[in-house]
Order: sequence, then C-alpha cells, then structure tokens
Amino acid sequence: MTYALVSLSIPLLSALALMLAGARLSNRNAGIMAIVTSLLSLGAAWFCLLDVAAANQSILLNLGGWENGLAIRLRLSPLSSLLLLFTAFMHVLIGIYAGFSRRGVSRDFWTLSSLLHGSLAALWLSADLFNLYITLELLGLTAVAMVALAGKKAYKPAANYLILSLVASLFYLLGVALVYGRYGSLDVVLLGLQTQSDTTTRIALLVMTAGLMLKAALWPLHLWLPAAHANAPTAVSALLSGLVVKGPIFILWLLWSEVAPVDLAQQIGPVLAVAGMIALVAGGLSAMRSPYLKTLVAYSTVAQLGYAMMALGLLMAWQLPQMHVALWLFVIAHGLAKATLFLAAGEMQTTLGTKRVSGLRGATQTVPVAMFAFAVAGGSLIGLPPSGGFLAKWVLLEPMLSSPQNWPWAFGVLLGTLVSAAYIFRVVAISFDRARINPPDVRPDRLGHWLALLPALMVWGMALIGEWLIEFLSGGGV
Amino acid sequence: MTLELMPDIVLGALLLLMAWGALYAPTRYDAMALFVAFGVVVALIWARLGAPDLALAEAAIGAGLTGVLLMQAARQLPAEASVTGKRMPWFGSSLLFLVLTCAMFAAHILTDSSFKQAGIDASATRLLGGPTVPEMVTAALPNSGVSYPVTAVLLNFRAWDTLLELLVLLLALTGVRQLYPGTPQHPRANTASPPQAWPVLLSWARFLAPLLVLLGGFLLWRGASGPGGAFQAGALLASAAVMLRLTGLLPPLRWSSFLLRLAVILGALLFLGVALASLAFGDGWLVYPTQWAGALIILIELAATLSIAVTLSLLVIGESEDLSS
Amino acid sequence: MSGLQLYLILGAAVFLLGLHGLLMTTDSIRRLIAVNLMGAGIFLIMVALAGRISPPDPVLHALVVTGLVVAISATAFALRLITAAARVDSGQSAVPDKASRLASKSESDVAEDSRP
Repeated sequence: MTYALVSLSIPLLSALALMLAGARLSNRNAGIMAIVTSLLSLGAAWFCLLDVAAANQSILLNLGGWENGLAIRLRLSPLSSLLLLFTAFMHVLIGIYAGFSRRGVSRDFWTLSSLLHGSLAALWLSADLFNLYITLELLGLTAVAMVALAGKKAYKPAANYLILSLVASLFYLLGVALVYGRYGSLDVVLLGLQTQSDTTTRIALLVMTAGLMLKAALWPLHLWLPAAHANAPTAVSALLSGLVVKGPIFILWLLWSEVAPVDLAQQIGPVLAVAGMIALVAGGLSAMRSPYLKTLVAYSTVAQLGYAMMALGLLMAWQLPQMHVALWLFVIAHGLAKATLFLAAGEMQTTLGTKRVSGLRGATQTVPVAMFAFAVAGGSLIGLPPSGGFLAKWVLLEPMLSSPQNWPWAFGVLLGTLVSAAYIFRVVAISFDRARINPPDVRPDRLGHWLALLPALMVWGMALIGEWLIEFLSGGGV
Repeated sequence: MTLELMPDIVLGALLLLMAWGALYAPTRYDAMALFVAFGVVVALIWARLGAPDLALAEAAIGAGLTGVLLMQAARQLPAEASVTGKRMPWFGSSLLFLVLTCAMFAAHILTDSSFKQAGIDASATRLLGGPTVPEMVTAALPNSGVSYPVTAVLLNFRAWDTLLELLVLLLALTGVRQLYPGTPQHPRANTASPPQAWPVLLSWARFLAPLLVLLGGFLLWRGASGPGGAFQAGALLASAAVMLRLTGLLPPLRWSSFLLRLAVILGALLFLGVALASLAFGDGWLVYPTQWAGALIILIELAATLSIAVTLSLLVIGESEDLSS
Repeated sequence: MSGLQLYLILGAAVFLLGLHGLLMTTDSIRRLIAVNLMGAGIFLIMVALAGRISPPDPVLHALVVTGLVVAISATAFALRLITAAARVDSGQSAVPDKASRLASKSESDVAEDSRP
C-alpha cells in the first residue's frame, strides 16, 4: 500500500511544485520535471504491482487509522495496481510526446497533467462513494481546463463540457446522498453487505448510473464527447480518450459489481448491454461518416466504449467473473490504442496541413510511420488477433458462444467488429491512394511519429502476457 | 399541518419562488439578483435545520462571492436573445409535466416507502448491527484533537476528502489562468491609477473589511470547539479581500509574485506534507499522533484558511494581468 | 408530515426545478444557475437527512461543506469560461481596459449597465 500512496502523491507534489515555481522554471524544464516525476510514479506503481501480485489479494487501508465506516477506506486490488501502472505509463509517454515533439505545449499543461495523474490515482484507489465524488470532480475540472488549453476556439466546447460534467457529478452526488440516507454508510465494501433492492436503492443507483454514463460519454449520453475531444490539443485528446473517460467507468463498475444488490444488477444488466451494442453501431457509423480525422477518432471512442458497457452489462446480467477481465482488458487495450490514434492523427494533421480524412491521400508514402501506427492501433480496435483488443474480445465472446441462447450478443459483437473495421479501413484505404498524393507541408517530426507507434506496439504486446494478465485480473477478488 | 410548520412552509415557498425566478426572470440581471436572494433563503433554512456552519458558509459564498462573480460576468456578456431560445412551445409544457410527475414520485418515495423507515427512524442506518456513523464520531471525538464534530470529520476522520477539495480549488484557479495566456507584464498595469469608487462604498469598505477579517479569525479559532473552521473563515477573508480590491484599497494580487503562489498552494502542500510525514515516520497515511493531533489540525487549518482566502479572491476578482505568469 | 420531510421534498423539488431550467434555457449563465440550483437541492436533502437525529449528523454537514467548496470553485471556473467564450464570439480580442472595468464595479453602476 505504501508504494501505491507514493505513486499517488508524487504527481500531486509535482503539480504543487510546478505551480509554486511558476515562470521561474522554463517551459522545457517544467516538462522534464513532470516527465521525471511521472517516471518515479511509474516505478512506485511497478513495485506496488509486484506487492499485490505477491499478496494475491486486495489490501484495504483505513485512512487515519479510524474504524470501518468512520474512516475513508482505500483499497488496492490487482486491478487498481494495474490501472495505477497504466496511468503512470500513459503520462510518461504523452509527457515525452508533449515535451519533445515539435508541437509545443504551454507551461500549465504540465501542472494540469500532473494533477490529472494524481486525481486518477486517487480514483483507482478510493473505496468510498463521497471520496469518489471528489475525484470525479477533480477529473472533470482537469479535463475541461485541458480542453481550454487549445486556445480561444476551444472555450465554447470547454464551457459546454464543464456544465455537462457538473450536471453529471451532481446526479452522482444525489445518489450518494440517498444511499447514505438509506444505509448510513459511504464505504463500498460495507454497503455491498447491506444493500437491498428497495425503491430508494433503485432510484439512487439509477441516478448515479445516469450521471456516470454522461461523464463517460456512454451512449445515449455521448453527444458532448466528439466536440470536446476533437477540439483539444493532440496530447490532451490522447489523455482524455485514453484515461479520463475510464474514471467514471471504474465507478460504474464498482457500483454495479459491489454495491448493488445482485437481483437489481441482473435486471439492469441487459439494458446496459443493449445500450452498449447500440453505441458500437451508432458510434461506428458516425465515425465512418465524419469528414475530419480527429472527429473520426473521437467517435470511435464512443463506439469502443460500447464494448466496455456491453461487458459491464453482461457481467451484471450473468454474474460471470470473467466479464470483469473482459471489461478491464478492453479498457486498457482501448486506452493504448486510442493514445496511438490521437497522436498519429495529430502528427499527420500537422505534417499534411489538413484536418480532413480525404487529405490523407498517399499518407503511406508521405508519413509512413504515423500511418503504420494508425493502422496497427486500428487493428487492435477491430480486434485482429493477436492484439490486446482481440484478447479482450475473446474473453467476452467465450461465454457467448458456449450456449446458443447467448448468440444474439455474439452477433452484436460481430456487428461492432464490422463497423470498426469499416471506419479504420476507410482511413487506411485513402492513405494507399498514391495516385493523387497530398504533399506534406513540413518534414515529418520523427520523434512524434515513432512515439505514436509505441503504444500501438504495446497493445499488440499485450497478447504475449495475455495469460498472465487474465490470471492476475481474475485473482484476488478483483 | 400544524402551526409550528408555518415558518418552514413560508421558507419553502419563498425558496421555490426564488428558484423559479432565478431561472425564468425576464432579464438576466433579475435572474442573477434572485439567485443571490435564493442563497440567502438557503442560509436561513440551514440555520433553521441546525447547521450553523453551513449557514455561515452559504452566507459568505452564496450572497457574497457568487454575487460578485455573476455581476462581473453579466457586464462582459452580450444581451441574450430570449430566455428559452429556440425551443418549441410544447417542449416546455411537456417537460414541466414530466418534472411535476418526477416531483410527485419523489415525494412518494421520500414519504412513503423504505426511505421513511430509514429516514425517520435513523436506527435503520446501523452498520450491520453496529453503531451508526454519527455515534462513531461521538465516540472517537476525544481522540480527534478537536471538540467540534464537524471540524473533526473534516480535518481528521475524512481529512483525505478535504485534501482533495483543496486541490479542486487549485485546479479551478489553474483552469481560470488558462484563459489569460501569457500576457506579458504590461507597463500600464503597474501604473494604473486606483479606480475611483463610490465614496459611500469606500467608507463602508474601510469599516467592513477589518470587521470581516476579525470575524474570519474568530471563526477559524472557534472551529476547534464550535461552528466555524477553515472554509468559513477563508470565505469571509476572501469577501473582505474582494471588497477592498473592488474599491481599490488593496493592491492587485499578482500571480507573478512568489509569495502569492506560496500562499495559494500552502494549504495543500502542508496537508500533503503531513500525510507523507505520517506515512514515513508515523503510523500511516494521515494518521496523526494523538498528542499532536490538535496542534496539527490547527496548523493545517491556518494554512488552508490562507490558501482558500487567496484562491477564492483570485478566482473572483483576478484580472488578466494578475493571473498571467 | 414533519418538518424534515417537508425539507426532503423541498430539496427534491429544487433539484428538479434546476433540471427543468437546465433543459429549457439556452443562455449559459442561466444554465449555470440551473446547475447551482440542482446542487442546492441535493445539499438541502443532505442537511435534512442530517437532521433526523439530534444533534444533527456531523458527517453529512462536513460533506456539504466540502460540496460547497467544490461548487463555488466549479462555478467560478465556469463563469470565467463562459465570459471568455463570449469575448471570443464577439470578436473582442483585447480585455477591456482594466481601470474602466474596476471603476464601474460599484453596485449601482452594475445595476444600470446590465438592465436593457
């Protein structure tokens, strides 16, 4: 647990130090400091993972040493240790991209990204409904401030994003108030032992779910996402799509897999799963029609989150532990792939001087590395073997294929795969059009392009440690 | 309905009236004024419900800082075209119908079902047959270092929430600073003559501001044993600073000054430092040694008050020259 | 019906009224007010729930204090964002002259400016 707390407090300290230093620290040094602290945090998260793997169970910590119920409890499960590691890795990667590639970022990016890192770490570790509310607000405000980094044109989407994000957290807070009123506790573990499916609990869980779905841009509450994610600077888009939307999903998963009574979860599960299926298709179709590259990638987030929602819904409906594994494999595979897609899209946009998908003609020749990264990450989104996306989909499909009454769900997954393939191949096909090449405006930024490729390779590498990952995630009561 | 419910009913009706007005008043300015009035009614309700801390906080924030914030925003915004914009006429009425249905449903569950048993008989909220959380608070209070339960919860039992809340304040400030990117130090900003304020306001400010500062200090001191504490004190101090700044009696608060930045982060830094020190040398994250608990809480509260006051005043009145680094 | 139930229902009503306002109005400031009303409704429910026992539940009071800080921070940030967005919209790139902005901040002036 000590390592987890160290991994959590390093980025927070770094954010405070960056604020204190202000203009005394040059932009470049601020970046180096943020990257180094992310690396330190990554190291701590690695030791934390080893600890958990050795203990093979969740560790609970009552903050302040107070008794259960009075104290806020933190919980370090195999999943949260993995997410800590994942968050730190993404921050290191995107930090290096933001600091050393050609497109510079302003000094406040570093403060904000450190704060984001800290708030996410706090979220993964928290097992207290009200504490989760504060981390949710931290996450939302950071995300909005980061969208506003893009400059004047992003202020309006940022303002809309902020209002929606506030509404979403308030819905969640209303549910927390009702739960505390009904059960007199905020602790996730204690609540899990107590909840019954009466009217108050139902209403509370439903308003919390609505709020969290809005925050995570799950269909049908996703309409704000493309504007916010596509308007942000490239590094920020990657952080938002790869990490920020995963926070609310974590809370949603915590609520339905632990807090909610089982019979209620079984009733609501299929509804969520169907919504996930619709998200897959609707998001995919919007991505296919989008004329702009970044909007296409943003819509693909909406579609891919459909898989996560489907896994969650089926987890609730069937109460199968392997659905936990499917859900979190999806989340991690999607995070890595989406980082690549946004970085590659941003790099191609800058190099080719166009925001349109049609401007990518001949991209395989002009920006080969970035285009290759895009295609490789796209392959994982589609679920081509042996990528991380395939791994997740395989775990999801296994119970579906084993009994005939579940085949309609498998059909949904198949449909989603086809739509994903369609929008990825749309981009790839245009890039092979070497007859009418869109000449690059500037020489490609080598470092940026290769950095974009890195997470894509990692998501394919996930298959190598696939067996270990599945075992790790299903061990220790998650 | 008994006669003793009359004040509650009057307050409730007033509250709903203000809320409706704050949303649908014909001009934006009226809506804002009614929203500030709404804040005052909420403060009254909290005083009536036995929550003096919240009444104080709401009075300082709802009536004071939010008012200044809204007025400033109103001056910079263009006039709005219409209240409800391009929505279809039927949309409003059907939505109202939906809201009324929800309200009736809410009234039903709040008065009639499981909630009633839990709601009116709080013993249903026992944790698995053990003591309720408020009983735990009472039992643990002697070891918490302070004698007022709300402060004990905020600074000791749920200190992690409070630490994160200080980060939310910092984050909002960082976010606002984004909106004034890299304006270099303008020579004009340094030589700007103090603005001419209304004389009566000026003399009022001279009188009120020290009073607010005194009251803030009192609240902070009293937080250990009675209603009050870091946040209420910070909010009051911020109102004093805002008033002085608006009347030109306070020099600009500049982000470029190291001391100001230190004041802004001090609360969170000290809190985090205590947490880390307790992790490294003590019994664990945020575990205060019992004999030091009181002193540590006072120290953290002092720093937090300073940070809250400075951050809130920057959030409310920080000008572009003040905020850019 | 007891006083506490009255306040519980009042809280729910204010929350729903805020939600209604959020869906009905288009002006960002009014929508922000609507969001704040929703928050106030929830805080009202929480404080009413705290009043079920005597003395009132300190945990809920502390949660509301925390919630208030979060609400004021978010509101301040949102208002600044909205005004910044409006400034960009109206093409008025420069921030208005500081001295004139400060000078007109006494309340009587504000009242006159904002009335149409």
